[in-house]
Amino acid sequence: MKFNRRSLLRGSCQGALAVMGLPFLDCFLNSKGQAQTSGRPLPTRFNTFFWGCGLTSSLWIPKTAGTGYEMTVQLKPLEPYRKKLNVFSGLRVPLDSKPNGQHWSGLAAAITGIAPFRGGEFESRTIDQQVAEVIGKGVRFRSVAASSSGDPKQSYSSLGGTNHLPSEPTPLSLYTRLFGPGFQDPTKGDWKPDPRILMQKSVLSAVAEDRKRVMQTLGSSDRARMDQYFTSVRQTELQMEAELQRPSIEAKVSIPEAPSADIVANNASPNLKVVTPLMARLGAIALATDQTRIFNLSVSSPQNAMFVPGDPLGFHQSTHEEPVDPKLGYQPRVHQYNVASMELFAAFLKELDAIQEGDGTLLDHSLVMAFTDQAYARIHSVDGLPILVAGGAGGRMKTGYHIAGDNSPVSRVGLTLQKALGVSVDNWGKESLQVRTPYTELLA
Amino acid sequence: MQKLVHAALSLMLAICGGAVSVAAAPTESSYVASLRRLTEQEYRNTIADIFGKEIEVRGSFEPTIRSNGLAAVSTASLSVTPVGFESFSKMANDIAAQVTAEKYRAKLPCAPKDPKAHDDACAGKILSHYGRLLFRRPLTDAELDNRLGLSRRMTERTNDFYAGVGYSLSMLLQLPDFIFRSEVAIPSADGKSGTLDSYSRATRLSFLMWNTTPDAELLRAAESGELNTSEGLAKQVDRLMASPRLDAGMSAFFDDMLQLDTFDTVSKDSLLYPKWGSAMATSAREETLRTVIGLALHDNGDIRDLMTTRQTYIDRRLAVLYRVPFPFTGDWVKYEFPADSGRSGILTQISMLSMFSHPGRSSPTKRGVALLNIFLCSPTPEPPNDVDFSVVNDPNSPLKTLRERLMAHATNKVCASCHTRSDPIGLSLEGFDTIAGYRTTENGVPIDVSATIEGRSFSGAQGLGQYIHDNPQYPACVARRLYSYSRGVRSWSVNDFPDAYQAFQNSGFRLRALLKSMVLSDSFYAAAPPAPANEVGSK
Repeated sequence: MKFNRRSLLRGSCQGALAVMGLPFLDCFLNSKGQAQTSGRPLPTRFNTFFWGCGLTSSLWIPKTAGTGYEMTVQLKPLEPYRKKLNVFSGLRVPLDSKPNGQHWSGLAAAITGIAPFRGGEFESRTIDQQVAEVIGKGVRFRSVAASSSGDPKQSYSSLGGTNHLPSEPTPLSLYTRLFGPGFQDPTKGDWKPDPRILMQKSVLSAVAEDRKRVMQTLGSSDRARMDQYFTSVRQTELQMEAELQRPSIEAKVSIPEAPSADIVANNASPNLKVVTPLMARLGAIALATDQTRIFNLSVSSPQNAMFVPGDPLGFHQSTHEEPVDPKLGYQPRVHQYNVASMELFAAFLKELDAIQEGDGTLLDHSLVMAFTDQAYARIHSVDGLPILVAGGAGGRMKTGYHIAGDNSPVSRVGLTLQKALGVSVDNWGKESLQVRTPYTELLA
Repeated sequence: MQKLVHAALSLMLAICGGAVSVAAAPTESSYVASLRRLTEQEYRNTIADIFGKEIEVRGSFEPTIRSNGLAAVSTASLSVTPVGFESFSKMANDIAAQVTAEKYRAKLPCAPKDPKAHDDACAGKILSHYGRLLFRRPLTDAELDNRLGLSRRMTERTNDFYAGVGYSLSMLLQLPDFIFRSEVAIPSADGKSGTLDSYSRATRLSFLMWNTTPDAELLRAAESGELNTSEGLAKQVDRLMASPRLDAGMSAFFDDMLQLDTFDTVSKDSLLYPKWGSAMATSAREETLRTVIGLALHDNGDIRDLMTTRQTYIDRRLAVLYRVPFPFTGDWVKYEFPADSGRSGILTQISMLSMFSHPGRSSPTKRGVALLNIFLCSPTPEPPNDVDFSVVNDPNSPLKTLRERLMAHATNKVCASCHTRSDPIGLSLEGFDTIAGYRTTENGVPIDVSATIEGRSFSGAQGLGQYIHDNPQYPACVARRLYSYSRGVRSWSVNDFPDAYQAFQNSGFRLRALLKSMVLSDSFYAAAPPAPANEVGSK
């Protein structure tokens, strides 16, 4: 695939300069041929979806447990996927002696199983990175993160501490990373390895050989940083190794054309509604073409700044300032933002479910963990944190259930997911969040 | 890694005898006192200075985080993630390819005998020349041998001298010695303290004062050992301070201190504020930097006047937002707001007012919290988790203005402890909406911009400007941030640099006086040895 920056920025979609909205989407829909099939087993993928400020408990928790529950008003956007979805309610987030860091402790507990000491920091790698060690190797990217509200810092995928893996902040940057230079188009017949990549890989090996020299004169904290540095060097080397392999995939997808222009990504809800599905589609195609097996999508920061134009408060501020309507018993505007968040999650699932592979869809061969930071954002409470998990993990996860309020620590979900993905782990989490028993009833 | 440096140093020590304050130390004992990841701007400036502006830097940089008020502090603790390195790696290959491309070759220090074959002498010249510039120190013999070896192997594989050298240049650009500013120190005789070696001094000075890598003259002064003498140091500092490039250095500092990068993620409600566009943020950021640099450097003014001046610099876009006339020609013009405009220094510029507001509404609390932190180095703790906002948000409340609603905090002791600090600051700025437009009413009710802080009552932005201007915490805060920024460390008190602060005070709070005194003092180059491995547990 011929690709350069100029054509990316200045090119056009069917002759017209696409700036935003539908013409841009149409470009992405352009077909470029079908992928070839190889007959090897389909990999299992793990994805996360993050949205800030949670949901409203009286409006999202189904009344009955198990299957056949009546769909609630806030989960309604997920109705098309209910058979592929598990809903977890009543999860506890015990913080022990740690402070309840606003808009942080809940999400950190959900994805590390450890209550954090400080806001903005994780006490361990996040679950996607833990899982990546097992299912993410041998492909081009160990993981990919994207933020549909345009902030590269908005990433809940981390190597621990403050070493968060930055998110691609726009559809164009995500496209370029996934399908720009280095991408081996599996639909191309006359594929051969790019000799330049071979040379660049040799350079990386030479860089890696300097590790000993660099480490010599360092104190221990800098040593840890340089350790990370050379791990990153190694990872890029592995990436190049993958780029030198002939791609072979099962999925029936087409590789999108390079978009002609970027598109505004910010917190305005009309933009989120355009950018989120676009990024989800790019991520889905990357998963289907085995560029990566881990795709993390976030639609907001924990202090969810989504706003409907004309609403001076926006989501987060509304959770604190909008009064609880005495007749309805909830915050009506917050409810709208809650639903809008679930619509964005549904848009993600739609893209995953739209790709057919093997005997099912990409979603069937994935696990998607949707998580948030607050159970009740108005007062920053974390107990009862909503967690939604979609996808069958290639048949290893049973779906369609509402796991209702059994008071389990939130980390029990993370443990269950790891079991479903074949990670050999006996227990997960620390202190009161440490769990040994997965939801065995969900494991096939 | 630093053998050559030490060889040069000990040679220089021998020559200069007692003129040098550093204690002679065995070469093995020198240590890396700090490693700071280059910021995006530092990286870009460095490449432009070393290879020329025609070399493009294409790629994205890992975001930094703010620590103790500054992104500069976090560069001393962040590493490089795989995503970040992937990008560095691509940029390195791209830069090296540009530098070895046909049209650039005339600029290289030499040409090979045969462009299809390895040429040890020429490759060595190119690599040691750029190696010294990229690493801000000479390459050691072992390092040069290694890079030359790579160059030879790659040339053999490609039958192209320039490709081979290009890959070695790419390697240099991918090593931590380039991506991090490494500060190397030589321990004192008792091993308890240490001081930066001369190349590290050059590096620290250059990035602080010009926001870029040391130039040829500074590297020469490092190499000759001049930077370790007080006369040599003074001479270089004078040169750096006299240059117009000081503007770039201090702009980078104020950009960090004023948190102007917040603009990267600010969005405004286009329905309520159709005048706002993302280009507005770029102009507003520049307005503030032009104001600060104009006052503090060009006019050598009192830093405190940044809170009260009505002088600013505007372009056509900003003129629209400020609703003031703009001449038909020119990009930027100096402009003075009239006395009755209600404007007061950078406090009422679009930057400070719009960054710390909601998309569709001003926020006295956000503004108050941000300004307290930025100008008075006084961060506000998070509100309690279970705070009941219904006190403030009774649906049937007769409270019309934000002030009335916020004032309800005073009825709650827990809220009051912080809100009585932050809200008065923000409320005095309520005469400006979320995109800094001037206004006198809200929901049909006149806006009250009076405020009382610590017993001092004032009114509006001009009252606030005077309050901060007169508050001794403000210049102390600027000084602490500069110190912190220059070294990549946290600073809790001006006692970290008492002489420089005294000089700042004596000068009537001139930035140049502070900067100069700071970088001329011996203690500025002191660098404690890192804790041994077994003493550092959790970070």
